[in-house]
Amino acid sequence: MLPFPLQIQPGLPISEQVVYAVKKAVISGLLKPGSRFPSVRAVSQELRIHPNTAHKAIGVLIDEGLLEVHPGIGTVVGQPPAAPSARELKLFAAQVERLVVEAKNRRLRLDELQTMIERQWNRLTTR
Amino acid sequence: MESSDNSLTMNPVIEIEKMSCRFGNVEAVRNLTLEVPSGSVYAFLGTNGAGKTTTIKTLLNLLQPTAGTARVFGVDSTRLGPPELARIGYVSENQQLPEKLTVQQMIDYCRALYANWDDALCRRLVERFALPMNRPIRGFSRGMKTKAALLVSLAYRPELLLMDEPFAGLDPLVRDDLVQGMLELSEQENWTVFISSHDIDEVERLADHVGMIDNGVLTLSESSDSLRTRFRRVDAIFDEGPPPTPDLFKDALSSEISGLSVRWIENHYTDDEALGARIQSHLPNCKAWSSSPLALRDAFVALTRAQRATPPAL
Repeated sequence: MLPFPLQIQPGLPISEQVVYAVKKAVISGLLKPGSRFPSVRAVSQELRIHPNTAHKAIGVLIDEGLLEVHPGIGTVVGQPPAAPSARELKLFAAQVERLVVEAKNRRLRLDELQTMIERQWNRLTTR
Repeated sequence: MESSDNSLTMNPVIEIEKMSCRFGNVEAVRNLTLEVPSGSVYAFLGTNGAGKTTTIKTLLNLLQPTAGTARVFGVDSTRLGPPELARIGYVSENQQLPEKLTVQQMIDYCRALYANWDDALCRRLVERFALPMNRPIRGFSRGMKTKAALLVSLAYRPELLLMDEPFAGLDPLVRDDLVQGMLELSEQENWTVFISSHDIDEVERLADHVGMIDNGVLTLSESSDSLRTRFRRVDAIFDEGPPPTPDLFKDALSSEISGLSVRWIENHYTDDEALGARIQSHLPNCKAWSSSPLALRDAFVALTRAQRATPPAL
């Protein structure tokens, strides 16, 4: 069994779905820093996905610092990152903009959006 | 980002070039060109009778193209002989198995034929597939027969696995066992799978390349990531006023307008910004719209329909 839940949905690149599922598991405390992360082979076998797809997802997670490679030990969950850099914040602002566009497009009010964000925020906060 | 791009620089395992196969008046495959990169799992999709089996049979030199060429491992398909065939595994929907033999007897027989036979892998597969070893294959269910066929095709560690509708009519548990069995091979360095299916759901997760064939003609061949990205279902609602200009659907696979709402399938979606700009210019009275990912199955159906509505110029 994999240490993070994932139901693969049709229509989105599978490697992106794996990356997202792992991020979600890390922030909600399901995956603890320092714990072992399954191999490419195990991820591929468990999810019945192409090993290249699993490899790609794990590569992205390592690049983003969510996973770390320790020679002789294998891949482990990384330490939580320090405060985001200016560049990261700028990239993130673009994502917030998308969210706001989508919300306005659905005629949501600001307070409704805030409530929705709060609910998700609390749901995903480390237990 | 595209890891599959690395494999494209390597020699493709399968190269089909302008291949046609004619049986009397019927052209089963028409001017087919496609490449299967080394290391990929290539899903070859098409409805029944689309030309999938014919294509696979030419790759085994069971059939010869009437025009064009097919190459496997760089060797012309009409010259494929025992040395190349020993590197190819083949499992088909209507697999011929030695019905009188038991699985054990079939394994003993096949083991002698292949220098690369891997006893340890064979044992793992026997265990995974939970096959009765000492009963004649004659009495096996369809699923058990397919497992037995896959077992003896995997145990010699073929570099290329050709599978013709292996999952047709099998229950989900058996399919899952077969996929797991195929993945047993993925640890080896050279591992390419070419798998035909009429049902994309069966192969959507595993395949990293997808080709679609309809009436003998290839409608697309690309990486599944690119496919998943470029198709989008778009729903829009607009206020009273002029309906969308046809230009909005210039690149759409299908479109439906019903009252003040319109739905279509984008064929070359990149991002919501570009899409929003197009909607703005072709449907200024648009009130709200949203785009959502499309399952490959729906893309497949829409593509096939669009293709049939406008046959390609020859």
